Amino acid sequence: MDIFANLAHGFAVAFSPINLLMCLIGALVGTLVGVLPGIGTIATVAMLLPITFGLPPVGALIMLAGIYYGAQYGGSTTSILVNIPGEATSVVTAIDGHQMAKQGRAGPALAIAAIGSFFAGCVATVLIAILGAPLTKLALAFGPAEYFSLMVLGLIFAVVLAKGSVLKAIAMIVLGLLLSMVGSDIETGASRMAFNIPELADGLGFATVAMGVFGFAEIIRNLDHGAEMNRDLVQQKITGLMPTRKDLVDSTPPILRGTVLGSILGILPGGGAVIASFAAYTLEKKLAKNPSRFGRGAIEGVAGPESANNAAAQTSFIPLLTLGIPPNAVMALMVGAMTIHGIVPGPQVMQKQPDLVWGMIASMWIGNLMLIIINLPLVGIWVRLLRVPYRLMFPSIVIFCAIGIYSVNNAPVDVILAGVFGLVGYWLIKHDFEPAPLLLGMVLGPLMEENLRRALLISRGDWSVFVTRPLSAVLLAVAVSLLVLTVLPALRAKRDEVFTESEN
Amino acid sequence: MTFLRALTGACAAALASLGTFVAPAEAQTYPTRSITMIVPFAAGGPTDVVARIVTSHMAQTLRQSIIIENVVGAGGTTATTRAARATNDGYTLITGHMGTHAASVPLYPKLAYHPEKDFEPIALLAGTPILILARKDFPPKDLKEFVTYVKANAEKVNAAHAGIGSVSHVSCELLHSILDVKPVGVPFNGTGPAMNALVAGQDDYMCDQIVNAVPQINAGTIKAYAIATPERNPSLPNVPTTAEAGLLKFQAQAWNAIFAPKGTSPAIVASLNAAAVKALDDETVRKRLLELGSVIPGPAERTPEALAALVRSEIAKWTPVLKPAT
Amino acid sequence: MADTMGHSATATRNTRLVVGFCLLAIAPQIFEFIWSIGTIFGWGAGRGPVAVVTSHVTALLAGAPSAIFGSFGGGTKKVSSDVLLALIYSYPLFVVAILTLFMTIRSAQDYVGGVVLMALALFALWAGSDLQGMRGFSFGAGTAPRMFGGLLVALSAGIALTGLLTDGPPMAHYSWRGPLFVVAAILFFALSIRSLGLVVTAYASFMIAAAGSHETRWLEAAIVGACLTLGCAILFPSVLGLPMPMYPRFLIQ
Repeated sequence: MDIFANLAHGFAVAFSPINLLMCLIGALVGTLVGVLPGIGTIATVAMLLPITFGLPPVGALIMLAGIYYGAQYGGSTTSILVNIPGEATSVVTAIDGHQMAKQGRAGPALAIAAIGSFFAGCVATVLIAILGAPLTKLALAFGPAEYFSLMVLGLIFAVVLAKGSVLKAIAMIVLGLLLSMVGSDIETGASRMAFNIPELADGLGFATVAMGVFGFAEIIRNLDHGAEMNRDLVQQKITGLMPTRKDLVDSTPPILRGTVLGSILGILPGGGAVIASFAAYTLEKKLAKNPSRFGRGAIEGVAGPESANNAAAQTSFIPLLTLGIPPNAVMALMVGAMTIHGIVPGPQVMQKQPDLVWGMIASMWIGNLMLIIINLPLVGIWVRLLRVPYRLMFPSIVIFCAIGIYSVNNAPVDVILAGVFGLVGYWLIKHDFEPAPLLLGMVLGPLMEENLRRALLISRGDWSVFVTRPLSAVLLAVAVSLLVLTVLPALRAKRDEVFTESEN
Repeated sequence: MTFLRALTGACAAALASLGTFVAPAEAQTYPTRSITMIVPFAAGGPTDVVARIVTSHMAQTLRQSIIIENVVGAGGTTATTRAARATNDGYTLITGHMGTHAASVPLYPKLAYHPEKDFEPIALLAGTPILILARKDFPPKDLKEFVTYVKANAEKVNAAHAGIGSVSHVSCELLHSILDVKPVGVPFNGTGPAMNALVAGQDDYMCDQIVNAVPQINAGTIKAYAIATPERNPSLPNVPTTAEAGLLKFQAQAWNAIFAPKGTSPAIVASLNAAAVKALDDETVRKRLLELGSVIPGPAERTPEALAALVRSEIAKWTPVLKPAT
Repeated sequence: MADTMGHSATATRNTRLVVGFCLLAIAPQIFEFIWSIGTIFGWGAGRGPVAVVTSHVTALLAGAPSAIFGSFGGGTKKVSSDVLLALIYSYPLFVVAILTLFMTIRSAQDYVGGVVLMALALFALWAGSDLQGMRGFSFGAGTAPRMFGGLLVALSAGIALTGLLTDGPPMAHYSWRGPLFVVAAILFFALSIRSLGLVVTAYASFMIAAAGSHETRWLEAAIVGACLTLGCAILFPSVLGLPMPMYPRFLIQ
């Protein structure tokens, strides 16, 4: 049929030597960027954009796309090894992935992340090819009211993923929401809580806060007296590199579920991929026979979210390819790249530029294959890195993080802020607050507030839009039931928890 | 903070001078090393694209590379502040636009620079026409009906825009002040989401730059009422001008122009202007700019004096429109 | 016997906490004072130290009560931000500090965590107090920050209450060496990257950070630091094309 003819054409384009090379470069740079803490995809794509001007347009876009999804592979590596999520989507991976690394199971965690990503990437690519056009309708069906409800649901996910006190998790989300409000107000342009610091005018960067509360805080905590014992234990404990048969069996359903969730949520512009990884984690925790394993090194907690975020990374190309509208900042840069090459993306780009569109889709599949070939052997090298004595490891991480944060905006103030958030994160650990809900609140906060205000502006202040629009009502209903499911057992278990928790 | 900022400006120069020995910046030999062009928006945006197309040709004329540095933040004012404080030796330039060098004056009361007092105008590069767009099933059929409809239903209609200070925001404010209405403005985070909402029919209309709109109009996902320039645009020959459609007063373009810090020597300004003018006469440059739907300034509009006059008139034009809005 | 000892231990613990909370209550004022010292040397902009001290002291002692009475009198005079800081931030924390004197704290970890979080929320409320609220049906800039600020005050009060009502872990032990040197390395990096360039800054920061651990062997650290710096110098500017200066400015010019 048409699809096969198109795909065959796409593969013919993608298999040309220059495009294969571009795809490989993209995948390699993406992996590198993902692995280095702090350096984000947006910054790298922006930086490399000018280099691609000299290339043919198809090759250029294949390379940029490779960087984007390659970074999703690499991003899990630092999350698992050193508990530093480089991207919002890998925050969840850090929760169980790093626990696995602490138990000497970094190898299986990394491998399952790569396998899950590969599977999800392949499925999502096929999805783009077959269902791209019809799925576009989903992106258009989401108005401000639906987005607000989706964000509420996302924040409930953050409560569910907390392993300790629900009250503290909610407090962390709200703190994240408050932090996200620093900067210019979208509707009036008023500067909020920015204290006339120009660097705060656009708000606190995700990388800044994430490097602080995860990266620096973790380092500072590890330098505490008494922490050496645990670290040495980790270094001796490293067992097999590859997942066992049991790991694979345990991970298969989460990978499938994560792929489905990620593919659907990825289509939604803005925040889709982040919510996808959190949603996948929540789903796994709710479905698990023994949810208490989550947060303590459950392999399902790595497999699900990693598949989801890679699937979402692929399907987020759908609005770009079918509508010509970029769903996130990286895609906006790709639109820029196309414009510079004289291709104006729009609803007709599929008909007018079949080389570009189908070549890119085919290259994604090839890119995913390359990534798994690159990443599986790398697992051994990464795990060996854990054997480096911590006294040498930690100053190196500090330097990498500092360079990474600085490179985002070339702003020294960002580095100082990350240091401040490092101290805040250290304090949070000492008082048993979890940083993951805080980060999720920070990422989803602006989306939630903006869409709430947009929805109320359009409805002229009528709050009932959130329940009268069917999609929004369904999302809110799911959110409420999920909250009830989470809070009820927590209240019941309160008495026992008090005694078990006090040991930590 | 000021200490840091002083270093900020010098940093670019330090980077640029890496590898070459710094020679005194004399106009006769200018330029002796690479020039840094600050673009106050992200790579790939409309301003960035125009800057890259023109500077790549200017670099050939000047026989020195021009390094583009994208500095984003606060509607471009962060970068413009940095350019205003840079050394005025002709090695740090900025590609400003309507927002950074005109609309910012009324929009940001605490602006750390003034477009006229802190910059030497070099040359106008291109103008991007602004269109009045609407969702495809918005009742009015042409601009006349649109005007009556919006006036009659000012309470009900929603105008989408890409955020405070964006081209789509300020140009619609101008439209509203001409029509003397105050419909609800629905802010989005950038042009992409705003266009998405218009295609999905969540908002009624929007004023936006031609680059983003042409493919959507051609595909019929949105419709255009008029183009706010004196002449029709070759990429949209069927869209009437505002003058033709009966709204002569609504004239707006998002223009891009090169500026240098105040006090840059006249000889350097002249040589940069000459290079920019030469670029605008080049066939490939013209072709690429026209593909974007840009309007290339005529010979009379390309002088530094003309740019200075444009900045002055634009500030005068936007100040009354945007003052009460914020 | 054991009972009385335990009691006296909590008492000393409590007074220390009370002093801590009182300091926290005027922490922003102290911070602005330290910041203002810089203006003597011409760094940064803002009020001089003398102006800061007098303004905050009057706000804390006299300004706030008079503002309260003023509002009773129906006055709509605009209250200065220093007085607002005292009203919104410092006073509630003083109240908490005083209440702490009479409390038996069963989980210091939760109680202190809750109170400090509350301080953060109150500070955010103050920082957002100049923002516009609701205008008709549309949210103002300040609506959401106030909503979430208020919610966080309530939540943190809940956490503090948990610390009073249920048994839990005591305060954790903080060490000083790790945080001090790691933060010093970060600060040094931020302040010198633009002027000293990547090579010098990265190496120096590496060595400063290395001082944060008592396990560090200096020769080994010096060699690894040099290799790492070399790696960074090749990787970041060349491979990834990040625009950052490599060498100190004074060497280039």
